[in-house]
Amino acid sequence: MQTRSARSPARPHGALALSFVLGGILLAFILLPLLALTAGQSPTALAQVASSRDVLDAIGLSLAGAALATLCAAFFGVPLGYVLARTSFAGKTFVSAVVDVPLAVPHTVAGIALLFVFGRQGLIGAAADAVGLQFWGTLAGVVVAMLFVSVPYTVNSARLGFEAVDPRLEQVARTLGLGPWHALYRVTLPLAWRGIMTGLTLTFARAIAEFGAVVILVYYPMTAPVKIYELFIRFGLEEATGMALLLLAVSLALFLLLRWLAYGRGHTSGLGR
Amino acid sequence: MSDVAVEQLTLELGEFALLDISLSLDAGEIGVILGPNGAGKSVLLETIAGFHRPAAGRVVISGREVTTKPPEQRHVGFILQNFGLFPHLTAAENISFGLHIRRRQRGSGEIAPLLARFRLEGVADRLPDTLSPGEKQRTALARSLITEPDVFLLDEPFAAIDTRTSDTLREELRQFIRDARIPALFVTHDHLDAVALADKIAVMWEGEIVQSGTPSEVFQRPKNRFVAEFLGVENILAGTIMARHAGGYSVYVGGQRLEVPPGNESLNAEDEVLLCLPADAVDVRQPGGAASLREFPGLIVAMASAGPLVRLTLDCGFPLTAHLLRRTVSERHLQPHQAVTVDIDPAAVHLIREP
Repeated sequence: MQTRSARSPARPHGALALSFVLGGILLAFILLPLLALTAGQSPTALAQVASSRDVLDAIGLSLAGAALATLCAAFFGVPLGYVLARTSFAGKTFVSAVVDVPLAVPHTVAGIALLFVFGRQGLIGAAADAVGLQFWGTLAGVVVAMLFVSVPYTVNSARLGFEAVDPRLEQVARTLGLGPWHALYRVTLPLAWRGIMTGLTLTFARAIAEFGAVVILVYYPMTAPVKIYELFIRFGLEEATGMALLLLAVSLALFLLLRWLAYGRGHTSGLGR
Repeated sequence: MSDVAVEQLTLELGEFALLDISLSLDAGEIGVILGPNGAGKSVLLETIAGFHRPAAGRVVISGREVTTKPPEQRHVGFILQNFGLFPHLTAAENISFGLHIRRRQRGSGEIAPLLARFRLEGVADRLPDTLSPGEKQRTALARSLITEPDVFLLDEPFAAIDTRTSDTLREELRQFIRDARIPALFVTHDHLDAVALADKIAVMWEGEIVQSGTPSEVFQRPKNRFVAEFLGVENILAGTIMARHAGGYSVYVGGQRLEVPPGNESLNAEDEVLLCLPADAVDVRQPGGAASLREFPGLIVAMASAGPLVRLTLDCGFPLTAHLLRRTVSERHLQPHQAVTVDIDPAAVHLIREP
């Protein structure tokens, strides 16, 4: 009681007020450019952009690539997050660092590095070419580039999700008659669900946004960011703005949808109720 | 009817180890494994439950050897600290969790009588977070019971619960285990759990069972200083055997001579010993009265209240702690810094030979 009454009055107000102001400036910094982009756009110009075949194809390619990259991230990244959360082994710090490397590598550099492996003469590129799979200038290349730069979010977020689940709950499930896979599915996965979904959402958003690695590995067909860049270079700001706004609307809508899937639906997320 | 036996279990697991652990329990019996953190208590439970493969030894549950069987085939009820309910499922969902796996043939209508039996009808649709400790315990017991376990394994379920609540929960648990006729192995570092629950006690330290037996055997005859201290024996005094005679031993302790009846240990003159003396076997009175060999002059150094008792710290040439009823203290007008007569019950003294 004493510590509480001694702690509550006045003390944090100065710091808290300053934090409010600084946080407000940051929010404005994020929102202002987006609002400026939105303002002054005539609906007719937007409709014209939205009816352009090139633009729609580019956005479609971005969405398809990001969706496939997110699926790959789920398939490979969530298990790695589980391993990092549940085991300790020599070199675990190294593995965690490797997972974070794509966040530190400049994305154009990542694109060039990927070219060495997935390009025509690349280690994997050449082998895949033999069975008819090409990464240069294809959807597969888009997916590879997107996955490389965005998968750390899934691994790290899933790891945090799994770490927050008491491993002994899985043990309890085992004693209640569940096999190891079944216990994982019915106890650990639902409890880590929010962390996993947060990671996949970030991965998806980052994948749609990717420009640097994609543009080097796959210039044609163009993803939406590449197309916007091309419009900007060839026709200028006005031409690029319409498509930029369209991509913004699509990615924000999907981002909100995924967040809702992760946090909004109580029953599947388990923790949401 | 079911029973459980562990035979010469040996295991090494990182910093933990189990060394030649043997114990057995009959239906409805509660065995308490008492030991400090890191003694290997949880590892022992996990090994019985099937999460570690022992290097040697056997685990036998209800006459079936299960040493190499996975946890899901062992039929154990596993109850953890804070009861280990699944936080994403309601009380009813927790209870029916194991139902469809082990008992495919029956429907979920089976839950209703369980909810009634454990007085959980009102909270069936609530998440564990919102349950009281008592409701959590009953939910956890019901959840295990539905899979018809042959043994309950409890890993410090009361460790994070306040004393007053855990008193009630212990009583409920004891009643439940007796009624269900299922053996239970209860792991704890709290000797109060052992006093309240145990039919048998094993004191564990660094992977070994140091001493085991009935509660009275273990509490009244601790085997060494570690056990005595861990069981909360208030007075552990160093002494020397002066003489051995027909009536027992004359022991020299802190300049005083004490007559102690013969115990289980065979001691000789000159042996160094530890005297274990529970604080409630020490009586304190105003000075005077008939002098006898069990009485000493002493001084009250300090007094502190401990619930219905008063803890008196005494100096009799050696330090001594006594527990007296609050009423006794006031009736006898006992005050700090007062000279008193101290009366030790020789029958309560237990001697341990010092190695």
